[in-house]
Amino acid sequence: MSDDRPDQPPSDEPAEEPRQPSAEQPELERPEGEHRPQWRQTLAILLSNRAAAVGLVVLIVMVLTAVFADQLIRFPINEDNIANRFAPPSADHWFGTDDLGRDVYSRVVMGARVSLQVAAISVTISLVAGTLLGLIAGYRGGWLDTVTMRAVDVAFAFPAVLLAIALVAVFGPSLRNTMIAIGIVFTPIFARVVRGSVLSVREDLYIRAIRSLGASDGRIILRHVLPNVAAPVIVQTSLSLAFAILLEAALSFVGAGVQRPTPAWGLMLADAQRFIAQGWWLSVFPGMAIFVTVMAFNLMGDGLRDALDPRQRTLIEARGAGGGEDE
Amino acid sequence: MRLRLLALLSLTALIAVACDPGDPIDPEDPTAEVEETPPVDEEPDDPAEPTAGGTLVAAIGGDPDQLDPHTTTSSFAFTVLENIYDTLVQPASDLTMEPALAESWEVSDDLLTWTFNLRQDVSFHDGTEFTAEDVVASFERIAEEGENAFRLDAIEEYVIVDDHTVQFELNRVAPNLLEQIGPFAGLAIAPAAAIEAGTLADEPVGTGAFQFVSFTPGDSVEIERNPDYWGGEVPLDGIRFQVIPDEGVKLTSLETGEVDWIDSVPPEQVDGLAGRDDVVLGQVAGNDYWYMALNNDREPFDDERVRRAIAFALDIDVITEAAKFDAATPNETAIPETSFWYHDYAPFGHDPAQAETLLEEAGVSDLTIDLMVSGEFPETVTAAQIIESQLGAVGITVEIRDEDFSTWLADQGEGEFDAFALGWLGNIDPDDFYYAQHHSEGAFNFHGFSDAELDTLLDDARVETDEDTRKELYDAAAERIVDQASYIYFYNPDIVTAWAPDVQGYEVAPHGQRRFNNVSLDR
Repeated sequence: MSDDRPDQPPSDEPAEEPRQPSAEQPELERPEGEHRPQWRQTLAILLSNRAAAVGLVVLIVMVLTAVFADQLIRFPINEDNIANRFAPPSADHWFGTDDLGRDVYSRVVMGARVSLQVAAISVTISLVAGTLLGLIAGYRGGWLDTVTMRAVDVAFAFPAVLLAIALVAVFGPSLRNTMIAIGIVFTPIFARVVRGSVLSVREDLYIRAIRSLGASDGRIILRHVLPNVAAPVIVQTSLSLAFAILLEAALSFVGAGVQRPTPAWGLMLADAQRFIAQGWWLSVFPGMAIFVTVMAFNLMGDGLRDALDPRQRTLIEARGAGGGEDE
Repeated sequence: MRLRLLALLSLTALIAVACDPGDPIDPEDPTAEVEETPPVDEEPDDPAEPTAGGTLVAAIGGDPDQLDPHTTTSSFAFTVLENIYDTLVQPASDLTMEPALAESWEVSDDLLTWTFNLRQDVSFHDGTEFTAEDVVASFERIAEEGENAFRLDAIEEYVIVDDHTVQFELNRVAPNLLEQIGPFAGLAIAPAAAIEAGTLADEPVGTGAFQFVSFTPGDSVEIERNPDYWGGEVPLDGIRFQVIPDEGVKLTSLETGEVDWIDSVPPEQVDGLAGRDDVVLGQVAGNDYWYMALNNDREPFDDERVRRAIAFALDIDVITEAAKFDAATPNETAIPETSFWYHDYAPFGHDPAQAETLLEEAGVSDLTIDLMVSGEFPETVTAAQIIESQLGAVGITVEIRDEDFSTWLADQGEGEFDAFALGWLGNIDPDDFYYAQHHSEGAFNFHGFSDAELDTLLDDARVETDEDTRKELYDAAAERIVDQASYIYFYNPDIVTAWAPDVQGYEVAPHGQRRFNNVSLDR
């Protein structure tokens, strides 16, 4: 966890060679022939990358866990039983019990819901806000661009965790405010990624062509620019989801995130820290959960980056989409 | 773990600020020799070998914010300062007050004039003689800018009779005056010249067993033996207080011999340390208490039945065990069993059925409580989760709000809470336990409790000089407080410290003082 910001994906490259924005602009550039829909093509390439495939499977499992958490838990998550505190993993308590005698397995399972929910909502916030800012700044340029990007630079000057803690301190700690804070912290990243891509796309021939045909700015942005900057944004989203989970865990760990007794992984780790001598399972299982989930998002993010990168793609396609293992 | 210590620190601060008398975490002068028989206590240490000398390394959990005893509120500062300064009187291990810098005192017939006869053989670390002038200068400074000014509010005037006699003129009878003027180093006597010069914060000068050498913020404080200590010879050459914020690291440092003494032991580790050869565990029942308060200024907590329902719904045995393992004693009142002022009264027990009946009578359903705690005091966070679960069983929803302690204090001051949990440290006299917290005019009655009859009891008890009558008044007061659930009391924690086996003569004091003047190293 820590201060690193998610790196930006190599934002410029992917956008340089406009892929066919598929069905979206049939009148102008009709894709010749019967192409498979682009997403299926991407998926095929993605799955041909074993690491990414593993990531995807783990994520699907995690999402299912989160969705069906109510059915998967074996004990009420906040039911304490002091007499049975620090019970090691057993047939009853698969992951043991914690310092209050609560079932660690049930809490880790429910924690998946908290973590994924925070990650999804906060990244959605930053995705929407950041993309909007980036589009406007990049497309309009001028003072609007300068002001927006300087603001983004300022936001970047703060380590992500510190900024998030400061925001939570202002809003007051709660699940909702944690999501908002993380959303705000990640917004500049998206803004910068999108703006970079837009800058290169903006001057492309097809954009100029359509502009000369009299298309409105709104139409150009939505139908032509946006689809062409989508690739880096998608990659950034996947990576940001991983960092959001880490950041949420970090915030909870320092007490600036989700409130007890909500079973957030970071919070469970924070509580477990005191009790390492009493039971390794208190820290190992929530820690594993964070590790596995974050790794899965990262693997998938890497895979997506490759799959969406036109150059890589060409390479892979050249080898035959089925067997290319290009990682 | 850093949180824990910090917590203590802040708490102490709170307490000190608070009107509670306390010698919270700060130890005072455990030296007992004060009486005319100074050497008395010396022997009891270990006859071992005071010859050894040597420097003891003591781990403290945080950085002293400053070293001015009158204005600091940090327990870490007091751990150091208790060894540098003395007070006029000091608590003995049975919590009665015994002579220190004052070797005797008389009270006038109208109980309004106290005359203190000061020791004549005392000098400050800078060589100047200790006189009545220093006493007056110190108390006047405390009253003016000290964190413990509230302790002196019964004192109208200080009169210097001669160099070694000082009179306190009171504005009301104060049977607990000694507990107020000598509970810990917050009431330390400093030299008048240093007070005048304003140098106390940087250069502590006291009369205690050790004198100040250096303070490296974030790292350590060093003190060395005072060769002219009035309390007898000091075995140690000196002490280095090493700042180690992490509880785990602190304990490991003790185990590996890097430090000789640690200022606290996390409750979950106590069992594991007991009976080991390489670590000596010191554990005594303390005088602190931890509790929950409900905001009487908000509905429905203004209804006594609702507060009582909550008290009935809670199982304080479970709360105690969850928060403190075996290092505390559950208690439905504030004053611990070990105190003379203890009143055996436990009307609640754990009775969820009764709780539901009371809630129904009060017409309350779907109650949600905003419970404010601070991670700087992890035991409140643990307790809160048990409270959440136990109140959940009677249909009350608890939303735990874990705040930074400074925010916590601000919210408490503004009444921004339905309920909060915290502790009071370092109380000795029963007035310390009740007045500021429960009197309708009390300075720390943040939860808005008001009961005219209790006010009368507390006002009367404060000036009652007959000890038995006074105890009866406080027993009655305690019952009113408990019955109306002004505070819902949880437990009295033990004071737990640990040291290396070659540290001889250290005694864990129930009032929380940490003094090393009788300690020696057997190596």
